[in-house]
Amino acid sequence: MSETPLFQVENLHAGIEGEEILKGVNLTINRGEIHALMGPNGSGKSTLAYIVAGHPNYEVFEGRVLFKGENVLELGAEERAQLGMFLAFQYPTTIPGVSMANFLRLAVNSVRGEDDGEGGKKRIAPREFRRMLREKMKMLNIDESFATRYLNEGFSGGEKKRAEILQMAMLEPEFAIMDETDSGLDIDALHTVSEGVNKLYDNNMSMLLITHYQRLLNHIKPQFVHVLMGGRIVRSGGPELAEELEAKGYDWLKEVAGAAS
Amino acid sequence: MEASVQEATKGFSRRAAEELSLRRGEPDWVRELRLSAWDTYESIPMPKRTDEEWRRTDIRRVPIDKVQPFTELKNKVTSQSELSSDIQSLIPTDVEISGMNVQVDSSVVFTTVEESVKSQGVIFSDLPTALQEHPDLVKKYLFGAVPVDDNKFAALNAAFWSGGTFLYVPEGVHIEVPFRSILRNQTPGASVFSRTLIVAEEEASVVLVDHWNSAEGEDLSLSCNVVEVHAEEASQVRYIQLQDWGRNMWSFNTQKGNCGQDAQLNFLNVALGAKFSRSNISGMLNGAGSLAEMLGIYFADETQHIDHLTRQEHVSPYATSDLLIKGALKDRSRTVYSGLIKVHPHAQRTDAYQSNRNLVLSRNARADTIPNLEIGANDVRCTHGATVSQVEEEYIFYLMSRGINRTEAVKLIVDGFFDEVIERVPVDEVQEFVRQAIARKIGL
Repeated sequence: MSETPLFQVENLHAGIEGEEILKGVNLTINRGEIHALMGPNGSGKSTLAYIVAGHPNYEVFEGRVLFKGENVLELGAEERAQLGMFLAFQYPTTIPGVSMANFLRLAVNSVRGEDDGEGGKKRIAPREFRRMLREKMKMLNIDESFATRYLNEGFSGGEKKRAEILQMAMLEPEFAIMDETDSGLDIDALHTVSEGVNKLYDNNMSMLLITHYQRLLNHIKPQFVHVLMGGRIVRSGGPELAEELEAKGYDWLKEVAGAAS
Repeated sequence: MEASVQEATKGFSRRAAEELSLRRGEPDWVRELRLSAWDTYESIPMPKRTDEEWRRTDIRRVPIDKVQPFTELKNKVTSQSELSSDIQSLIPTDVEISGMNVQVDSSVVFTTVEESVKSQGVIFSDLPTALQEHPDLVKKYLFGAVPVDDNKFAALNAAFWSGGTFLYVPEGVHIEVPFRSILRNQTPGASVFSRTLIVAEEEASVVLVDHWNSAEGEDLSLSCNVVEVHAEEASQVRYIQLQDWGRNMWSFNTQKGNCGQDAQLNFLNVALGAKFSRSNISGMLNGAGSLAEMLGIYFADETQHIDHLTRQEHVSPYATSDLLIKGALKDRSRTVYSGLIKVHPHAQRTDAYQSNRNLVLSRNARADTIPNLEIGANDVRCTHGATVSQVEEEYIFYLMSRGINRTEAVKLIVDGFFDEVIERVPVDEVQEFVRQAIARKIGL
């Protein structure tokens, strides 16, 4: 008997405003794995990310999303994060007046939770927090002034993406979904961000990379690649599948998708 | 002191104004002013809902006939340690001040000024003392910014003012460390009619933090205050008002700043308390190149009614006014904002900005906001904006996706909402006070 998978999507039917976008998605990710989810625009990749994170506008019609064996669809968004899940958004929200540092301190403490009295999760001391923040910012080549800036306000596209990865690095999730994290990053930034992500991977973070380009996958190497089209995973394979997609595009898979429906 | 206990008079009358003046032993000219102000008060009709400025604010239940118009004069104490502990608790510790004036109901009970400030010619005292010691100086400015007939409640203040603060900074003197004034309603059912007069001569600069507070009580109290600021040529005056009255208070405030050429006026009005609060705030850009920054924060809860009426009056060219007032509402509270930018025909190159933002945290709360422009010149830049909105669900989701629970997320967003105003006020103890007050108010 193998151990419970870290993350599982079972026959997920879901959408927004009554429209079904995901039409029976199945996906299993074990601890220590990196998966890539690829697919053309509008295939439902971001919908899957939002559903997993618990966005209130999306509806689930059928199926389950399990994290460490628990159906997270029954939990609030904050509880999912507290369990160790993280979504790096494709389009992070700007929140005026809320400084990055204040927000991160609250987030880190929320995820760590109250002191459990057994030497496990506990609140972070202010000094330790500042040290950790400086260290992670340095790792991601983020200017220290970021800490005092308002959350994503006036950030460039690339800065927003880096800020997402900074949050991920601070929260140290066990499982992260990165939604188009590579878009908006120039080559240097992509390199820095990838290095940071790889370090987190080495530190026991599993992940699902959502992208429609090969570019990111040259830096963060998945063991598994899936193609989402028309709300279903139409093909799964190893890293070579991503290369095939890069060379041939998605059209050749349309017939497969058509045949499946 | 004579120990005559007199039946406290209730309600306001010409006779009561005269009695106040006689008991205070005021010179004839001051008494004449009071009586004439009473006549003015009588000649102005009580505002009604049919008046445009009062359409959304109902004052039919103002306890004007139920309160004592003034209370017996209390003796002054000579050191801060003699003040009662509840007043002492209002004084921030470890904060430097240039001087402090403490008024309890109708009486100023304590005044202190740093020697280093006094030696530069600065005058800081209660208004009655200033009238005695510097009559010509006070006469020159008193009623200069807020005339007796400015509005019904300014006229009532002119007839019944008692206590008050006078702050005068002579030419070229810069006082960076704030002055502080504490106004306390100690007796529920009494009146607080303070009058603050700030004069900054040419190129002078000064900061006054005015903190209003009440003892607990059920009986309705009435406060009718006036704040007059004269910022002369190239001077800078920052006036901060922290209105934290008890919930038994009906509060009226008329506040006006006159800006001379190149003068800079910075207002911050924070409205937290009172059952009913009406603040009438004006920046008069009388001098060319002057600047008026008018900031405000209000946070209404329970059944509070908080009303702001503002005016940015551009009389001269090249002047700038920048108004940003943000409010949050909870429970069944109600707020009204109505503001006018008025640009006179000669005020070319005016740059005026007016913004009122409301965050409604409850289904049963209601915010009204009415911005107005009246532009008589043709080469001006005027922008105004008004919003009433709820906390964005997208913001809440984003924060929750980082492990923060809904309540904490809303707190963070509301804090952030007000932070844009708070961070523009470079007085640490004020920033801290306001942040704590907001946290207390959010309370969720």
